[in-house]
Amino acid sequence: MTEYLPKYVNTVTKYVFVESPEMTPGDLAIRAYEISQGVMIKETCFGLQITGKEDEVNAIIAHLREFDPAHIFVKDRGFPPGDSRRCRANLGGARPGYFGHEFEISISRFISKGLVELPKREAIAKPKPPAPEGSAKLDAKRLRQIIEAMET
Amino acid sequence: MAKVFIYPTTSLILSDLVARFGHTPLSAALQIREHIQTPGLESPPLQITPEDPKKGLKWAAVEVPSGVRGRMSLYGPMIEQAEAAIIIHDADFSFGCMGCARTNELIQFLLRKGDIPVLDLRYPRTEEEGIEFVAAIKKFLDELAGGGV
Amino acid sequence: MNLVRIAQLSCGPEYSGVQKEINEAARSVDAEIFFPDIRLADIRQGFDLFGLDVRSPDLKLAIARARALVEGKIEADAVFIATCFRCAEAAIVRNELRRYIHENSRLPVVSYSFTERTTAGTLLTRMEALTTIARRRALLAREVQEGLTLGVDSGSSTTKAVIMRDNQIIGTGWLPTTAVLKSAEDAVDIAVKEAGVKREEIQAIGTTGYGRFLVGEKMHADLIQEELTINSKGAVYLADRQHGPSTVIDIGGMDNKAISVQDGIPGTFTMGGICAGASGRFLEMTAKRLGVDITELGPLALRGTGREVPMNSYCIVFGTQSLVNALAAGSSPEDVAAAACHSVAEQVFEQQLQEVDIKEPVIMVGGTSLIQGLVKAMGDLLQVEVVVPHHSQYIGAVGSALLASGFIKGS
Repeated sequence: MTEYLPKYVNTVTKYVFVESPEMTPGDLAIRAYEISQGVMIKETCFGLQITGKEDEVNAIIAHLREFDPAHIFVKDRGFPPGDSRRCRANLGGARPGYFGHEFEISISRFISKGLVELPKREAIAKPKPPAPEGSAKLDAKRLRQIIEAMET
Repeated sequence: MAKVFIYPTTSLILSDLVARFGHTPLSAALQIREHIQTPGLESPPLQITPEDPKKGLKWAAVEVPSGVRGRMSLYGPMIEQAEAAIIIHDADFSFGCMGCARTNELIQFLLRKGDIPVLDLRYPRTEEEGIEFVAAIKKFLDELAGGGV
Repeated sequence: MNLVRIAQLSCGPEYSGVQKEINEAARSVDAEIFFPDIRLADIRQGFDLFGLDVRSPDLKLAIARARALVEGKIEADAVFIATCFRCAEAAIVRNELRRYIHENSRLPVVSYSFTERTTAGTLLTRMEALTTIARRRALLAREVQEGLTLGVDSGSSTTKAVIMRDNQIIGTGWLPTTAVLKSAEDAVDIAVKEAGVKREEIQAIGTTGYGRFLVGEKMHADLIQEELTINSKGAVYLADRQHGPSTVIDIGGMDNKAISVQDGIPGTFTMGGICAGASGRFLEMTAKRLGVDITELGPLALRGTGREVPMNSYCIVFGTQSLVNALAAGSSPEDVAAAACHSVAEQVFEQQLQEVDIKEPVIMVGGTSLIQGLVKAMGDLLQVEVVVPHHSQYIGAVGSALLASGFIKGS
């Protein structure tokens, strides 16, 4: 039994991802470094990880979002950046959460479209919430017709 | 400002939209962060120890596999705090924290059993669906206490 | 020693708090656990092509990773499959992946269903066998014993020694294990005497069994090896079935092994060691209750039928009680002996043989393979003719002597 002493206690780490025609993750990093003021910033495949006190991190993120509001996405991360327990080099493969990011980033352009278009539409014209729907069942009468057609 | 349980709990999109529209997303990362930042016995990678599946007994009986109970020890407290929930139904490729279908069924059941508003969605496949998706989430969040900012 | 890379396919260990135990068990046999790296597109395609439509994303990931290993897109030396105990969905995936990897690659694979109580100690022998197969394939390919070699099997109940020369067994020694080293020395003395050779003439020594490290160190053994690989090798050698598939069953004094073997090398295996009711020990207790020697139990059981004796429990305590009650109620010793054999066979069948693919020949080895009633009960359950090779009680010693000849200088 080994004692565990955590690092980065009382900090938060947030991912800031960018998927934009206007801005690359590298551009985002440069902007972030300019305003970092000692908060830890680390580049990743899809954007950045920012680690520090919660209000400091939130302030930087609020500032970064302004550069491209519809194409920058933010979420919390449980681990600090570069943690060996999550590192690809140590695990041999990507941590499980990576695939979820890969998937959501691939559809983020639809979300960006929504964020851009929504304010432009009249309130009344806003679409209704699309609820998940089951596939429609074939009418029994119609099925019978098909069977009969096959038999003849 | 309401606490909104997001499903999948690892979702970047939901996490972002909930925060963007003025509420607090309850995501897996918050629970993992708490484990990672709490001293104790070393148990990599997530600092979930054999004690955590025992804590999960509050939400799932002892004959339920340890992986379900361990995950429920993360999600159970968040479900109890949640004031609303957004559920994406075709989250088929969310691994790790959302990697167990039985846990995911239990999470959804417990969310619906609680008396909180729930928004059901699918991932958008087109730009138009993207607009509908964002619109649905904005409307849902605006109607919650402290919403409409 | 070269580091063995073990690919982990799993669902749930991180959330059960046991990933650390898996890592530690691997590290203690100079192996490292890794997670095969694939892309999201590979996950979708791999999962779809495999055709098992499970719901849990982590099981889909395990399936896709297994495909990448089998197709050689990712290199590994061995595979460890781990899922939660009591999860039906995962049990199906675990079994199908083990079979798939076994049939479509040369990767040794072992699977395990864990609870939050699983420890590195429980996983150790499995990891050791897994790494041995990966590390010593060339050694395990040996089919003929050469020179003059000694094999010692220091088991939990008995110690066996075998002297071999030029592919023949020329001396054997067998003793109950009391003090590990003393029993081994005495068993070797008996074997050496029977063989008519001098100890200093012996060219190489191999040890196996629980006491293998202690005995191996004392005797300066060339090969110290766990019993899963040794017994597989010994079984197919003695049964003269060194090529093709076979299944080796060893019901031991303390634990049982069921091993699916291909060309003499274990592919998949299970080890049970928790319940004494499924062990040779139960049959020893039955013999004692019946007032017969253990060697007489087998022939006795063959003359009886177990069906007439109600056995309400597999437990060594309650099971023995059932047998005593049956005797008091007028059951014959023959029927009671047969019922005891059936109980052990059935428990091994239900708890272990479900997890390996039974391919003929089924070879039973170890001391319990001499109990004919047990062999018959196992054959009845599996619906096959079970093979018991000559010297089957010396299996570990023979396997050790055979493989030790690979260490003779100049060979």
